[in-house]
Amino acid sequence: MTATDLVFGASAAVALGGALLAVGLRNIFHNILGFALAMLGVAGIFLALGSDFLAAVFVLVYVGAVAIAMVYAVMLSHPLDQPPRARSVGKIAAAAAVAAAGAGGLWVVLRRAPWIAVTATAEESLAARAGWRFLTDYVLVFELISVLLLVAMMGAVMVARRSRSGTGSW
Amino acid sequence: MSLTTVLGVATALFGVGLYGLLQRRSLVAMLISIELMLASIAINIIGLTALTGLDASVGQVVVLVMVGVAAAETAIALSLFVAVHRAAHTIDVEQLRELKG
Repeated sequence: MTATDLVFGASAAVALGGALLAVGLRNIFHNILGFALAMLGVAGIFLALGSDFLAAVFVLVYVGAVAIAMVYAVMLSHPLDQPPRARSVGKIAAAAAVAAAGAGGLWVVLRRAPWIAVTATAEESLAARAGWRFLTDYVLVFELISVLLLVAMMGAVMVARRSRSGTGSW
Repeated sequence: MSLTTVLGVATALFGVGLYGLLQRRSLVAMLISIELMLASIAINIIGLTALTGLDASVGQVVVLVMVGVAAAETAIALSLFVAVHRAAHTIDVEQLRELKG
């Protein structure tokens, strides 16, 4: 068992444990903390797979930005001091059945495909090669992402803005 | 750490996210579940490009684009939740039944 295996195993445990906390707990704030933990685990998995730059991006974007943005939405959710509304057991069982069937089907398909596993031999930094690709082959994608982020930012402001005429309308 | 274990972890994460998306009633919790499923897809892409002899830098590019799109999606989704809450005073999907026939 190498050090990479150890990092991968620990990261996978953190990611799956955090995901279970993010989905299973009732308190929405605890869900967001579990989500941040799961994303830290995913970043660790990327580290074990040799993608150090991507691990840093995941920590910065998901743990640092997305989780913080989600905290602001906590005030919209059901008040935590009030008892939760009753819910049907049938719906939970159906959700579990569909999720198990979906993941199981995915697993069967993934196992059936003939992947050829090769150990990678990186001669140059992976981040350097990805950056080179971003500014040569994929420069249009790179520019489109910046336009998309700008439009999304302006759209978010417009959608969440309180309209000046009339309140409470869709 | 073989390719099979990487794919297995990603599949488990996808299953957890799918369960949360179907089971939770709060729109914020459903968004969290979608992000978990996106992260599992990112693990798959990185695992399949890093461990199968393909050019790993292409996988990096694809996942970086995915992160950018997911960030834009989160911003739009959260602002939509604010607008929905302003109109209906809840973000519980079982109470948002105005359009139900």
